[in-house]
Amino acid sequence: MSATSTTSQSGIPLIGRPLAAIGRTSALVAEHAGQLGLLLARSVRALVGLQVSFRSILNQIYIMGAQSLPIVLVTAVLAGIVTSQQGGYQFQGSVPLYILGSVVTSSVVLELGPVLTAIVLVGRVGARITAELGTMKVSEQIDAFEALGRDPVAILAAPRILAGIIVLPVLVAVANLVGVTAGMVAARLTLGLGYESFLYGARLFWHNWDMFYSMTKAVTFGLAIPLISIHMGLRTSGGASGVGRTTTASVMFMTLTILILDAFFPPLLLQ
Amino acid sequence: MIRFRSVHKAFDVPVLQGVSFEVEEGEMFAIFGPSGTGKSVLLKTTIGLIALDHGNVAVDGDWVYGSGKAALAGVRRKVGYVFQNSALFDSLNVWENVEMGIAEEVLARLPGRERTRKIWEALELVNLEPRDILRKIPAELSGGMRKRVGIARAIVGRPKILLWDEPTTGLDPVNTAAVERLIARLSSELNVTSIVVTHDIEGGLLMCDRVAMLEGGRLRFIGAPDAFRSSEDPVVRAFADRAAAEAALDQMEIT
Repeated sequence: MSATSTTSQSGIPLIGRPLAAIGRTSALVAEHAGQLGLLLARSVRALVGLQVSFRSILNQIYIMGAQSLPIVLVTAVLAGIVTSQQGGYQFQGSVPLYILGSVVTSSVVLELGPVLTAIVLVGRVGARITAELGTMKVSEQIDAFEALGRDPVAILAAPRILAGIIVLPVLVAVANLVGVTAGMVAARLTLGLGYESFLYGARLFWHNWDMFYSMTKAVTFGLAIPLISIHMGLRTSGGASGVGRTTTASVMFMTLTILILDAFFPPLLLQ
Repeated sequence: MIRFRSVHKAFDVPVLQGVSFEVEEGEMFAIFGPSGTGKSVLLKTTIGLIALDHGNVAVDGDWVYGSGKAALAGVRRKVGYVFQNSALFDSLNVWENVEMGIAEEVLARLPGRERTRKIWEALELVNLEPRDILRKIPAELSGGMRKRVGIARAIVGRPKILLWDEPTTGLDPVNTAAVERLIARLSSELNVTSIVVTHDIEGGLLMCDRVAMLEGGRLRFIGAPDAFRSSEDPVVRAFADRAAAEAALDQMEIT
């Protein structure tokens, strides 16, 4: 076998290519993890040190929370209706229909409410934060903060992270309530299941822990979305195209992180 | 005095390779060089905006790198930085942008009237009418006005040193001449040390006491403007001639 068939152009043996790729990916993951940890530590220090403007936190709560409410409500209503319809289709004639109350409530509270709300916020809030901070980075506004003796983490990162942690649980609580209500109304209108029967089924398998589980997810996602979007924004380089590239990467990064974190919840908290 | 000592910086390729020189107190100093030779990177090292691979920079005897956060904050308080594209904060109006130029600890104990006076004065120093623009956001200003607001933000804290990163880039000849006059006037009126990174060779030679030229990340020339004009170094000559030809071409295209 010739040398050219066993080595790549970069001189790495072909057999070593996957290992090199794993090595590069591991280094990149470690780099991101380290920077995310530092960003979180600096943000916490800024918050604890009261270096963060209260007005700025309120402003971010309004942008992330109040402005996201309509799309979160629409998503929750649709999620509740679809779950109710699919459950009804599967249960009719085989399982008592009041069980649908439990299925809709558990699906919405444990999974759909937190995850769909987080995914909506990735697109509406996370992408916006990355694009905004990325633009500030490439137009030297972040450097300007430093040059003027201001801490960009205290001004830009900490208020967004705190707002995310506050806003997500509230939005998820609203999404849970609206999603379950929509499912209940849909079951009544299409399957003829009365509200009392639906609520009876919901109560039958309800654990208070489920709400704690839902809120824990919300807080975790509420931390992850602003943290990743800010981190990616501050890494931006390369002008307008760089902002576009980083925003796309950031949305992928946040979505994957939400889904991966979500996968860790059942084994950790539902055993 | 600003002292650059063996400054090395590489990104993917080496950008600065052992640059050493000093800028005296009260001096106006220009840095020339082809694009990508590290002029702006060198300027940013003066206030520690870029991590160095090797070397150090001292401002009034205080080292920028390796002396801790407090020392760096002290250096930054002495320096006003005018960014290439102004770097005004998009979400803040002119008033708030200029106010950011006053150090936080000073701002905290500055009475409201005194704060207004400082901001007003800084805008007037750069020939802007405060009443007309204070409430405008950067997107509502022309390029020349944004540049001036950026300068007002840099001088409002009355720094000892002003760093100008390509202050005339993107301006038409009329605004270029106006900004150059402004740089010269402010440097003398405020009695500051100035370092100007510029592509405008003629403007730099007219304004500054000394000039330097970077080439390939190294210092190729340092000296008085007359010495630059009469330099027999073929690289310096070629750069100066090409810059003059490009400036003439720009002028023709505009007229």
